[in-house]
Amino acid sequence: MIGYLDICLRLIIWFLLTADFSVPNIIIGVCVALILPRTSTTAAVLKDWLHVFWEIIVAIPKAYAEALEMFVRPHKHEDVTLERVKANRTPGLIFLDIFLITFTPKTIVLRYRDDGWYEVHWVRRRRRK
Amino acid sequence: MNFVFFAMFLILLIPIYEAWQDEYIWQKMLAFASIATKTSIMILFISVLRDDWMIGVVGVIILSVGNAALMLLAHVIRRMNEL
Amino acid sequence: MINALSYSLFSIGIVFWLWGTLPLIGHRSVLYKLHSLSVADTLGSMSIVVGLLLRIPREWPLLILALISLAIWNTVLGYVLAYCSSHGGGDV
Repeated sequence: MIGYLDICLRLIIWFLLTADFSVPNIIIGVCVALILPRTSTTAAVLKDWLHVFWEIIVAIPKAYAEALEMFVRPHKHEDVTLERVKANRTPGLIFLDIFLITFTPKTIVLRYRDDGWYEVHWVRRRRRK
Repeated sequence: MNFVFFAMFLILLIPIYEAWQDEYIWQKMLAFASIATKTSIMILFISVLRDDWMIGVVGVIILSVGNAALMLLAHVIRRMNEL
Repeated sequence: MINALSYSLFSIGIVFWLWGTLPLIGHRSVLYKLHSLSVADTLGSMSIVVGLLLRIPREWPLLILALISLAIWNTVLGYVLAYCSSHGGGDV
């Protein structure tokens, strides 16, 4: 259970970098992935990770749609809101959440607060009451 | 392809101009971040244009070690402002 | 066919670049410019890289790596710049 997601991530990066599926290369990759130091945070639930990855895939067309929307109609006004962090998030998942929010062009996370809120900065078409 | 590259080059001039004319440090940082991304994409583009993948590898490496330096610099500037 | 597709991706990318970079010159807040830069530098560059990917599919592993690192670095840099410029760095 300990950080197998970590190891998967390292292997993916290794194979994308080398693009070589010969036996020695696979052995080197696995060794490096195991040897590199890992942080001993609590392992996240696999289901949460799959959910976040699915959200990232959805976020890409959504980001383009928002870009087109900003393209067609000007968004002149700025605004800051607070959003609640979902319960039981590990640091990795919080990082991915911030990534997701910031990736879409209309929203940027300003700050992650320790008491469990994000400050999110928006551009909007008209001023909100 | 050459035309596309020329357009990219012209757009690259905008953040360079901004970095030169604005005195406020965060605006400058924004312009530099923009320059960093744009030049590395242009490196990738040139590698395809000249069909020389060694240049492309350089571009990919620049993209993936990327903006780390700019992030560090941003933190340093924030600390300096706090003092 | 593939050429036309990659050309159209390039032109989308160029238009995004131009549209997102132009507000840099104006007098808006840093955060507002950051929003439009995330359109230009993340989404525009991503579509340019996908266009390149269509042209040279044999180099897909490196180009995919470029795409992933482009998306991650740019958004994280956006977050860091937003955070640093709005907290401790004087007013926008």
